[in-house]
Amino acid sequence: MSEINLKHISKSYGDLQAVDDVSLSVRDGELLCLLGPSGCGKSTTMRMISGLETPTSGEVYIGGENVTGQAAYDRDTSMVFQNWALFPYKSVLENVAFGLKMRGDSSEERTRKAHEMLERVHMEGFEGSNPTDLSGGQKQRVALARSLAVDPDVLLLDEPLSNLDKRLREEMQIELKDIHQEFAKTFVYVTHNQDEAFTLADRIGIMNDGRLVQVGEPTEVYRNPTNRFVEEFLGDTNFVAGEVTDVSDRYAHLSTEFDSTIRIPAFGTVDPGASFTVSLRPEFMWIQPADGTDSPEGATARADGTGGDTVAGTVESTIYRGSTIRYVVDVGGEQLFVEQSVTDESGIEEGDQVELEWNTDDLLVFDPDGSRVRAG
Amino acid sequence: MSVETPDTVLDRVWAPFESQSGSRRSLLLMSPLILFEVLIFVIPFAMLVRISFSEQSQSLPYAEGTFTVASYLEVLQSGLLQGIITYSFKLGIIATAIAVVLATFYAYATWRADGLLKSALLFSVVLPLLTTLVIKTYAWVPLLAPNGTANNLLLAVGVLSSPVQVVPNTAGVIVGQVYIVFPYAMLAIYSVLSTVEWELVEAARDLGAGRVRSFFEVVLPEIMPGITVATIISFAWSVGAYSAPALLGAGSDRPFALEVEEQMLLNFNWPIATALSTIMLVLMFVSIVIIYAVLGRFGGDISDAA
Repeated sequence: MSEINLKHISKSYGDLQAVDDVSLSVRDGELLCLLGPSGCGKSTTMRMISGLETPTSGEVYIGGENVTGQAAYDRDTSMVFQNWALFPYKSVLENVAFGLKMRGDSSEERTRKAHEMLERVHMEGFEGSNPTDLSGGQKQRVALARSLAVDPDVLLLDEPLSNLDKRLREEMQIELKDIHQEFAKTFVYVTHNQDEAFTLADRIGIMNDGRLVQVGEPTEVYRNPTNRFVEEFLGDTNFVAGEVTDVSDRYAHLSTEFDSTIRIPAFGTVDPGASFTVSLRPEFMWIQPADGTDSPEGATARADGTGGDTVAGTVESTIYRGSTIRYVVDVGGEQLFVEQSVTDESGIEEGDQVELEWNTDDLLVFDPDGSRVRAG
Repeated sequence: MSVETPDTVLDRVWAPFESQSGSRRSLLLMSPLILFEVLIFVIPFAMLVRISFSEQSQSLPYAEGTFTVASYLEVLQSGLLQGIITYSFKLGIIATAIAVVLATFYAYATWRADGLLKSALLFSVVLPLLTTLVIKTYAWVPLLAPNGTANNLLLAVGVLSSPVQVVPNTAGVIVGQVYIVFPYAMLAIYSVLSTVEWELVEAARDLGAGRVRSFFEVVLPEIMPGITVATIISFAWSVGAYSAPALLGAGSDRPFALEVEEQMLLNFNWPIATALSTIMLVLMFVSIVIIYAVLGRFGGDISDAA
């Protein structure tokens, strides 16, 4: 069993609070991604699991055992570094066998295991090479083999793919996922890349400013962000601020920055005058020419009685993004963007008058301090 | 016809150089350095070698125009001079071993320190270089003499019951010589160490290597070029030591530099002095080749140190 329990761990360097009271449980055999912008404390949190940093306060448990005071070399964790940290004066084989040598395995035993690991990461034939002669992707594979060779209870990966190009990164993501399933170990993976976290993670822990903001399965954190930071960090969205003008039984009316009133779901305690910020996700909006012809989806939204909302605007620019087209629409001086699949040929061009339509129940509403306000 | 000749003759002389140097301009840029080297090293050294093959003379420093290997035979056969050569190498080996080990520790500590402590450690190394060699070497006398600070302190505390004669003595010479070469050894090692990524040590520790093990497995191979340079500087300087033995040594502390001085200036026996110098130079050269070969085997690329 190798579940990880972090209990109220904090780390400060002088005046800098790098990690602030983080409590987190990583289940046995799970792949958990710590996701956040650079400097949010995700790497420091991981380094405290590895033993390379000692928490200023709080405790670290691995497999039920308190390891807070244990040095890195006494812990059954193994780390894959962002810059790989391969030993330059050792061959690829010696690098992979290093942990086994430290453990005291015999020479034949560690050579055999190192060969096996190199084969697993498709690096057979490079045993005698010098790591400095390898490409980034190859170094990554060797670093992974080196960490896996010691058969750790917990594998820690610190942005291991961030130095690779997009194509190779995606290839390695798939391979890492396979390796995770095959070895059935607890993996903690640090990244600042949302796509990577969504691709790999069983659960995602989102960090900001030294704090753990939300933990949950990818679909949950995406669909149900607990605060504005998570919503902003996980994907592009339009934030619209406004003030409540009046409240009806199901919806409140919000007077927005772009001089147009939109409806938001009404919650128990909404009073006129309260301020809110609404997230209008581009994928929840439809764009249609302002000539009265409804898009089929828009018509459906209204037909099912949940209530849609519409604003009118002018297309300011269209941005071709490969599989989608992004329309930037000027609505009363504010810009909203909406995305549409390129296969939905709507014939909309720059300068066209359009309507944006959405389903009111899809809106995510946040109060001024950033926390999520839920309907009901 | 003769008008063109100077040009073509010059070209012909130049041709072999040109193919090696790549362009005339680079050779031109190097010419002051080449001139300087020839004037202050090659010519005087050739003169020195020439004198070592001259006959000894009663009235003059050496007999001009003569040729003999007598002085070499004398140096190699004299027990006294053999003892002097042995002493020089012993001093070189001991001072180098102590200086390089201390310098490695000190450089490691400086590497790991940060902020004010790092600056203080670096500054302390550079500071002694700002004083003249004689003054800072002589400063050990009041510190280490039988009635000096160190002895008085240890006597007062009760660690010693009678003063220890460190200066003038061989121990004093070693202390002084280590002190002289230490900054150069430390800076040579530190310059390489400062380029090593700490992450490598972290990776080694993460894979189960303890503090000592991770140093020997990961750091040492990386800093070997610096250690090699530190060893060569310390060794060459300590074998040729002059001021530490002269100021801190007893009568028996007689390295070859002191002997050469006496033969040159007191005995006016230049052939012996120059023959001893030439032999030492050859021995030093052989030693340095051996140091390169031995230390180079432990990893690292010597050319990295440049």
